[in-house]
Amino acid sequence: MNLNAVCISTRRLYPRRIIFLVVKMTTLMLLISVMTVSASTFAQKITLKEKNASLDKVLKKIRQQSGYDFVYSDDILELTSPVTVDLKDASIDEALKQSLQNQPLIYHIEDRSVTFKLKDGALLKATAGQTIAELHGKVVDETGRPLPGATVTVIGSINKTLTTDVQGEFTLIGVEQNAKIAISYVGMTTQSFNYTGQQNITIALHPDAKELNAVVVVGYGTQRKKDLTGAVSIVTSKDLEDRPATNFGYSLEGKAAGVEVIRPSGKPQAGISIRVRGTTSITADSEPLYIVDGVQSATTYDLNPTDIESITILKDASSAAIYGASGANGVVLITTKRGKNQKPTLTLSTYGGVSNVVKRLNVLDRSQYIDLMTELNEVADWTKYKANTNWQDVIFRDAYTQNYQLALNGGSDNTQYYVSGGWIKDDGVARNNSANRYNFKVNLDQKVGKIIKVGTSVLFSRWFDSNIDDNRGSGKGGVIMNLLTSSPVIDIFNPDGSFTANPLRLSFNNPAAYTDGAINGYNNSRFFGNVYAEVNILSSLKAKSLFGYDYATDRYNYFLDPFKTDFGRVNNGLANLNMNQNSYWLNENTLTYKKLIGKHSIEAFGGFSMSKSSYEGSAIETKNFSSSTVTTVNGGSVINKATGSRSARTNQAIISRVNYAFNDKYLVTGNFRADASSVFGPDNRWGYFPSFSVGWRLSQENFLKDVSFLSDLKIRYGWGKVGNDRIAAYSYFGQVGVGYNYVLGGVLNSGTGPDTPENRDLKWETTIQNNLGIDISLFNSRVNLSVDAYKKQTRDLLFDKPVALSSGFSGALQNVGNLENKGIEFALSTKNLVGDFKWETNLNLSINRNKVGYIADQVLPVGAIYQREEAAIIKEGYPLGTFFGYVAKGVDPQTGMEQYEDFDNNGILNNDDKRVIGNANPKFTYGVTNFFSYKNFNINIFFQGVQGNQIFNATRIETEGLNDFRNQSVTVLNRWTTPGQVTNIPKAVADDVNNSRISSRFIENGSYLRLKSATLGYSFSPAIVQKLGIQKLGLYVTGENIFTSSKYSGFDPEVSAFAGQNGVSGIDYGTYPQVRTFIIGLNISL
Amino acid sequence: MCIALCASCKKFLDVTPESSATTGNAYKTSKDIEAALTGVYNTLYQEYFIWDRVLLGDARSDNAYSGGDDQEINQYDALKISSSNSRTTFDYRQLFNGVARANLVIDKIQSVNDPQLTAERKSQITGEAKFLRAYYYFELLKLYGNIPLVTDFGSVDASKVNVPAATPDAVYKQIIADLNDALVLPDDYGQGASVNKSRATKGAVNSILAQVYAQMPNPDYNKVVTYCNAVINSPAGYDLHPIYNQLFDGSHYINSEAIFEVQFIANTAQANWGPQLFLPPSLTGDAWRKYCTPSVDLVKAYDSEGDIERKNTNILMANAEWADEYWKPCASAGQIPFVFKWEHANGYASGDYTYLIRLADIILLKAEAQNELGNISGTDGAITLLNKIRGRAHLTGKTMSDKETVKTYILNERRLELAFEGSRFNDLVRAGKFTTTMNALQEYKLNCGNADRELVNYAANSDKMLLPIPASELNRNNQLKQNPGY
Repeated sequence: MNLNAVCISTRRLYPRRIIFLVVKMTTLMLLISVMTVSASTFAQKITLKEKNASLDKVLKKIRQQSGYDFVYSDDILELTSPVTVDLKDASIDEALKQSLQNQPLIYHIEDRSVTFKLKDGALLKATAGQTIAELHGKVVDETGRPLPGATVTVIGSINKTLTTDVQGEFTLIGVEQNAKIAISYVGMTTQSFNYTGQQNITIALHPDAKELNAVVVVGYGTQRKKDLTGAVSIVTSKDLEDRPATNFGYSLEGKAAGVEVIRPSGKPQAGISIRVRGTTSITADSEPLYIVDGVQSATTYDLNPTDIESITILKDASSAAIYGASGANGVVLITTKRGKNQKPTLTLSTYGGVSNVVKRLNVLDRSQYIDLMTELNEVADWTKYKANTNWQDVIFRDAYTQNYQLALNGGSDNTQYYVSGGWIKDDGVARNNSANRYNFKVNLDQKVGKIIKVGTSVLFSRWFDSNIDDNRGSGKGGVIMNLLTSSPVIDIFNPDGSFTANPLRLSFNNPAAYTDGAINGYNNSRFFGNVYAEVNILSSLKAKSLFGYDYATDRYNYFLDPFKTDFGRVNNGLANLNMNQNSYWLNENTLTYKKLIGKHSIEAFGGFSMSKSSYEGSAIETKNFSSSTVTTVNGGSVINKATGSRSARTNQAIISRVNYAFNDKYLVTGNFRADASSVFGPDNRWGYFPSFSVGWRLSQENFLKDVSFLSDLKIRYGWGKVGNDRIAAYSYFGQVGVGYNYVLGGVLNSGTGPDTPENRDLKWETTIQNNLGIDISLFNSRVNLSVDAYKKQTRDLLFDKPVALSSGFSGALQNVGNLENKGIEFALSTKNLVGDFKWETNLNLSINRNKVGYIADQVLPVGAIYQREEAAIIKEGYPLGTFFGYVAKGVDPQTGMEQYEDFDNNGILNNDDKRVIGNANPKFTYGVTNFFSYKNFNINIFFQGVQGNQIFNATRIETEGLNDFRNQSVTVLNRWTTPGQVTNIPKAVADDVNNSRISSRFIENGSYLRLKSATLGYSFSPAIVQKLGIQKLGLYVTGENIFTSSKYSGFDPEVSAFAGQNGVSGIDYGTYPQVRTFIIGLNISL
Repeated sequence: MCIALCASCKKFLDVTPESSATTGNAYKTSKDIEAALTGVYNTLYQEYFIWDRVLLGDARSDNAYSGGDDQEINQYDALKISSSNSRTTFDYRQLFNGVARANLVIDKIQSVNDPQLTAERKSQITGEAKFLRAYYYFELLKLYGNIPLVTDFGSVDASKVNVPAATPDAVYKQIIADLNDALVLPDDYGQGASVNKSRATKGAVNSILAQVYAQMPNPDYNKVVTYCNAVINSPAGYDLHPIYNQLFDGSHYINSEAIFEVQFIANTAQANWGPQLFLPPSLTGDAWRKYCTPSVDLVKAYDSEGDIERKNTNILMANAEWADEYWKPCASAGQIPFVFKWEHANGYASGDYTYLIRLADIILLKAEAQNELGNISGTDGAITLLNKIRGRAHLTGKTMSDKETVKTYILNERRLELAFEGSRFNDLVRAGKFTTTMNALQEYKLNCGNADRELVNYAANSDKMLLPIPASELNRNNQLKQNPGY
C-alpha cells in the first residue's frame, strides 16, 4: 500500500521517470526537503574545461557551479561515453547541451532542478532489482476507448498482477529489465511485450475474434475456450444487455444451439422452461440444473439479469458429468458479477416500456352471437341484454414496465466488491396482472495474507405478483379462454355491482370477474448466498471450501369477495393463505492442482460435497365472511382446510476430474463422480458417473500451422454417463398417507391409506451421451463455426409406470424403459465488416430428434382437454410431443357433421380409431443475430424461428365447438347450414361434441420466424461525457416480438399449455399470448 | 476414521418421511389397524359414492337427464359411454382402491401384536374389512361385469396384477365368501345407534347377501328371502320410519329404517359436497345448471300413482334461469325439477347423510323374491310387502294379480321409493327390462319459440348394461378384454 501511494504521488510531481542524485531517496518527504534546500542556493555561470572525462565527473562539476539539483540514476551513466567540454560563463543549458552531445541522454530543466533520462530507444543494461523504475501505461480498445479492469501481469522473478483503473491506466514500479508484461482483457487478444525501460506506453487491445483465450466458466472452475473438449454454449453479459428482460432465460432464447427455451405463457410471472438437447425423462424433472455461483438454485425468476456476468450451458455428458447427480438435463452455470480492482464505479441501468397484444382474434359480435344461439336453441330474453362487448377490449390493455438497477463495483488489490439493488415492475397485458421484484446483491472477495482468499455472494429478493389463470378452459376459470368465449351481449357489471354472467349460463361470469373478482398475490422472499475460503497451499495447489444456503419463503393470499362472483356468493366469501418454506444447504470441499511442466499441462481436481434440502408448507382456507372488509383468513367463520407437511432429501457426492493437455494440441479430460441420493433405496443410493473427452487441435500440427487462413481447427469427442434423481423425496418408500378420515357414529375417526407402493430397487436414471464436435476458425478468426453431433440415450428411466388400477395403485415409480435424443447443432459467427463500420453475424441452428423407446408396453395419454380427451400420447417409437386423436375427414355436405376415419369399420368411433395426428417437435430451430456499429451507434437485430412443428390448437375446440352457449370465433360464420353445402366448419349442434373431438381438425402448422428483438443504441463519446463527470452514458430503444411470420391462426405460435409436464408440448389451450414490447433505456456509469 | 465417515454418510442419507407413515411402520398397533380400517371406509367419501352412483343409477336410466354441462355425464344419459370417459375410469379406480385398502387390513391385521387389540375386535375388524371389500366388488361387478379378482395387497408386479378378468361367477363367489365371513359382525356395537348405522353390522351384511343373490345371473330367491328375513327380523329392530319425508330432511338420519349410511359433518373436510350439484340455485346460492334433472317420465310415474308425498320429497320444482331442453327450452325464469334427496347444499359442505342400505329397499327386495317364488299373496307374500311400502307413502294398496304384473308393480314401486338412490339402473337390469324400458321411453327435446320437438332415441341394447372397461385399464393390464359393444 505504502509503495503504491508513493508511486502515484511521485508521478504527479514528476510526470517523467525520476533519478535521485546524491542520495537515493525512498520517501517522498525526504525528497521534497532535499529539493527545497537545494533550490534556495543561487545559480551561477559555468566555466569548465575537461578532456575525455567521465560524464559523471563533468556533471558533478556543472552541478557544483550552477547550484542546480541534478536528478538521475547512476546506472544510466554506465551507458555514457567520456566527454570533452570547453565552457566559459556558459548558461546551464549550454553547458548541458555540450556535455550531453552524442550521449544517449536527454535532460529537462524545471525550476532549479535538472532531470536526466535516457533517450527513447536507448537500452539500459539490465541491473535487476536495483532500479525503481516506473512504467505508466494505458490500455485501450481498438477505438481508443479506455479499458478499465484489464489485467496487467508482470512475469519475471517477482510476479505481479494488477488491473487497470477507470481510465484504463496502470502504473508499475520496480519493473525489471526484460520482464515480460502481458495485458489481457476478456474478449480481447492478450498482448505482451518485454520491458526495456519504456516509461509511457499505450496498449491497444484488439477483440479476440475467436475468443480462444477467453476464459469460460465450467463445472467447478474455468477453462480457456480453446481447451474445451465438451459441448458448451456461452452467453455473456453483453448478450444479456442486448435484450433487457426481467428473466435471464429470455436472453437465452434462440442464442444457444441445442437449448430450447419454452415460455408457457406471455404473462410476466410465467417464467421459463428449458430443455437442453431434448427431454430426457418421462416422470422425473427434465429441467436443467441451475448452478448460481457454485450453488444449486431451485428457482431463477428472482435473479436479476443485470447482475449476471456470464451463463455457460453444459450440454453434453463430458462437461456436465461433474454434476453427475442432475447433469442429465444439462447444466446452466450462472456467474454473477464480482468486484474489480478499480476505482468505485456506480452504474445505473434503467428502462421503461410498454407492451401490448400483437394480434386480436375475431369473435362473433352481438347479433352474430344471437343468431348462433338461436340456431343452437339456446334462447334468452335478449332484449334484457343490450351490450355488444368485445371482451378482448375489456381485458387486454397497454401494460407498462419499469426497471431501475443500481450497481457499485470496485475494490483494491485485496478487496473487491460488487453491490447492487434494484426494482422492477412488470405489468401484464391482461387486467390486474403484474409482477414486482426487489433485488439486492452483494459479492465480496477479500485476500487475507498471501495465500488465503475469502468471499461471499449474497442475493436477497422480494417478489410480489398478481396472477391470472391461463392455459385452461373457460369452464375452469381460464381468463384468456373466457375473453374469447364470453357472451358479447353483457356489460362488465350488473346494476347491483356484481359481475355479469352469460345469460344462458349464469355460472359463467364474464372474464373481468376472473381478473378483478378475487384479490390474490404471491409474496415471496428469498435469501440465496454462499461463503467460500480459498487457500493457495502451493502455487500449483489450491483448496476451496464453500458453504451455500438457499432459503425461500412463499406466501400466497387469496380472497374472493362474498358478493361479486358466483363462487364467492356460494361460499359467502372465501380466503386462502398458503405458506411454503424451502431451504437448501450445500457444503463442498475441493482441491485443485494445476501445473505446467514443459509442454504438459495438468490439472487435477477432487472433492467431496453434501447437501440437504427441506420443505415445509401449510395452508388454510376459510369461508363465510361477514363482509369484504376483512380479507384475511381470520375473517371467515368456517375453516375449510388447515393442513401442513414437511419433507427433506439429502445428497452426497465425491467429485473428481483430470485435465491434461500436451503442447496445446492434444487435450484429454476425465471426470468421475459418485453420487448418493436419499430418494433411492439403501442398496441403490450410489450412482457412478464417469465421463471422458478428448480434443485435438489440428491447427497446431505442423502440416496445418502454415495454412494462413486457418486460425484454429479442433476436433472434440466426449462420452459420459449422467444421472437424474429428481423425483419426489422418499420415493422408494411405500408411503401410507394420513387424512383418510371417516365419520363413524357422528364422530370423526382418523384414517390412513396406502399412497404409493414400495420399491426398494429404485435407482438412478442414467443418460449416456456421445458428442462429436468440431470448431473451425478461419481468416484471422473472422469466421467461426462449431458443429456438434450428439446422441443421448436414457436408460432405467424413472417412470411412474401405470399399473393395473385393480392393484389399488395407479402408478408405480420404477426404473423401466428408455428414450433417446439425437441431434446436430451449428453455431456460426462471422465478422463481416471490421472497419469503422462493423457488422457481425451470429447464427445457430439446432436439430433434435426424440424417440421414446420401450416403456413397458404402456401408452400414456397426456394433455387432457377439459370435456374432451387427451390430445397427446407417450408411446414407444414416437417422440414425446406426439399428438393423438381421430383423423378428421371434413364436413359431410349432406349432414353437416364432421367425419372421422373409422379405421376398424365397426361403425363406432372409439380408442381404436385414434391415430398419431401430429408432432409438436420442430424439424429445426434457429436464431440469427446481426450486430452493426458505426461510431457511437450500434444496432442489434435478432431473428428467431422454429420450423416444421405442429400445434394442437385446443383453444379452437372451445371457439369453434358450436355446441353450447359459448361465444365463437368468426370462422364459424362459414358453418354448415344447408344440405349440399361444402364447407370446413360443421354445423351447430347443441350439447354434441362429436364435431369437436380431439382430431386432426385442430392440428396447425406451428412454424414461425420472428423478429424477436431489435435494439438501437447510442453511446456518448467518453470525451464528451467525461466533462460531466460521467464515465459512460448510453441510450437505447428495444423492441421485442416486433414481427412474426406464421400461418398459425391463434394469438401466437409460441405456446405450451402443459409446459410443466414432460411429453406434452405445443398445445394452445387458452394460452396468454406473447406480447410485443417497446422499451427505452438508459445506462449511466459514474 | 473412514468407517466412521461412511457410517455417518449412511445416516445422513437415511431420511424418512415425517408427514406420512410408511408400509414399514404404519401397522404395528391397535390404533394403526383401526386407522387403516377407517381408511377402508373412507372410500365411501369418494366421488363415486358422493354422486356418481346416482348419475349411473338414475341419469343412465329413465329417472333423470344428465343436466349440467358435462360432456361425460351427457354420455351416461345418452347411453353412449366412451371407454375413455374419465368418470367411469375414476369410479373403477376408486372402487378398486377401496378393495386394496380392505385387502391391506385383512392382510396386515395378522401381524398386529398389540394387547390392546382384543380377539373380538380383531375378528370384527376383519369382518368390517371383508364386508367393505365385498360391497366394493359388488358395485364393480354391477358396473363393469368383467373385472379381475385381486385379494392380496401391495403387489404392482405385472406378473401378479396383470391377470385376466375373473368370471362374474368367481367374483360373486368371493363376494359371498367375504360376506359370510363378515357375519361375525354384531348387530349392535354397543356404542349407540349412530355407530350401528355407519359401521358395517350383521344387518348390512345380510342386506348385501340378499342383494347379491337377487342380482346374480342365476338368482337364488330362497336365499334372498332368507337374508331379507334376517334383516327384517334382526335384533337390531329395523322398521320403516313412519314419515317418508323425514328420511331426507336432515334431522332424522339416525332412524330405525337405516341399515348402512354414510355420515358427514357439515363445514369440515368430511362434509358432503354432493347436494350442491343437485339442488336449485335458490338453495345453493349459485347460478349454474345443476345435474341429474328428474325426467318427464319419472314425474309422470309419480303423478300416475298420485304419489304426491314421495314426489315432493324426491323432486323439488324451482326456478332456473337457464334453458332446459326437456322442461323449459328458453333461458328465462321458469321452474324445472331438481333432485331433492338431500336438502342442504351449504356451499359444498353439507352435513346431509347418504343411505346406502335402508329397510324399504330390503322389504321390496323380499317382495321381488317372493313374487319370483310364487308367494304373491299371504301375510308374507309379495303384495303384502309391497303394500307396506305403499302404505307408508299413503297410497292405496295394490291388489292381487299375476306374477308378471306384480313384478311390474314392484319395479315401479322401487322406482318411486328409491329414486336418486342409485338403484334404478340395476333394478331394470335385474328385472330384465332395461332394453325395453329405455327404448320405449317417450322423451322429447324441446325448442324455444317453436313447437318442433325431437324424440330421443336411446338405442339401448344388452351391451349397454355394462360400462366399458376403462381404456387406460386395458392399456395397463393387457390381459383384460373390452366389454362387447365398446
